[in-house]
Amino acid sequence: MDSRPPASIEAYLETAQHVCALTYNHLDTQRIISSVEDHGAGAIAVFIGTTRNSFHGKRVTRLEYQAYSRIAIRTLSTIASTVVASATRSDHQPEVPLEITRANPIIRCAIHHRLGTIPVGEASIVIAVSAPHRHEAFAVCEELLEEVKKKAQIWKREFYEGEDDSAAEWKVNT
Amino acid sequence: MSQPKTISVLYFAAASTATGKSEEMVVLPNGDFKLSQLTQLLVSRHPNTNLDSILKTSQWSVDLEMVDDPNSIVLKGGEEVGVICPVSGG
Repeated sequence: MDSRPPASIEAYLETAQHVCALTYNHLDTQRIISSVEDHGAGAIAVFIGTTRNSFHGKRVTRLEYQAYSRIAIRTLSTIASTVVASATRSDHQPEVPLEITRANPIIRCAIHHRLGTIPVGEASIVIAVSAPHRHEAFAVCEELLEEVKKKAQIWKREFYEGEDDSAAEWKVNT
Repeated sequence: MSQPKTISVLYFAAASTATGKSEEMVVLPNGDFKLSQLTQLLVSRHPNTNLDSILKTSQWSVDLEMVDDPNSIVLKGGEEVGVICPVSGG
């Protein structure tokens, strides 16, 4: 049984450069990857966060996520804009002419976070990033994840085998 | 007689477990009421819970904007205030 606060609704925000979504549905990784595909991309980096079956020796039976969705979806979009903009300012690949690297080192990104009850082994978050070159795709994918973990107004509760639901812990990202 | 100033407070995660609620309407006292004073007011509405220690580690949002300095915000009534406990997304 989900304890679903009224503010923890599904949400979707799309710009020319990114898509962010909060959904109670199973995350369709292939569809999320397709949403960032582009013939100008030489690389697509994908991160899938899955629910693990243990925490400090205790067996985890499920996770529950809730969000303050109207803020969280804007936070995800701001994270995407900011991280992509800072990728534009980086200056590796010095042998390639400046006007080529500076233009669009990232083509498109997608951040999808699932809400509600997520059984062990299923995905809670999928991040996909397409870019001409792999360096930017990997780097941005990781940075998006770290920023989401730091800032998104989303909370996870962990339920343990053999323990009452009331003992389930609200986790804190460190 | 002036109209009572009412705000809606949204609780999530540990704060909603502590209060047993996901939202409540709160009538503010008359006069200037700073966001920083809300902690005391909410704790008094939920005695015998650990809401105090939760609020000490939480941030606030007002009308969907995160707040840096609760002392700098005066609530006028009608705002949606979120109790943003330490997050755990991703």
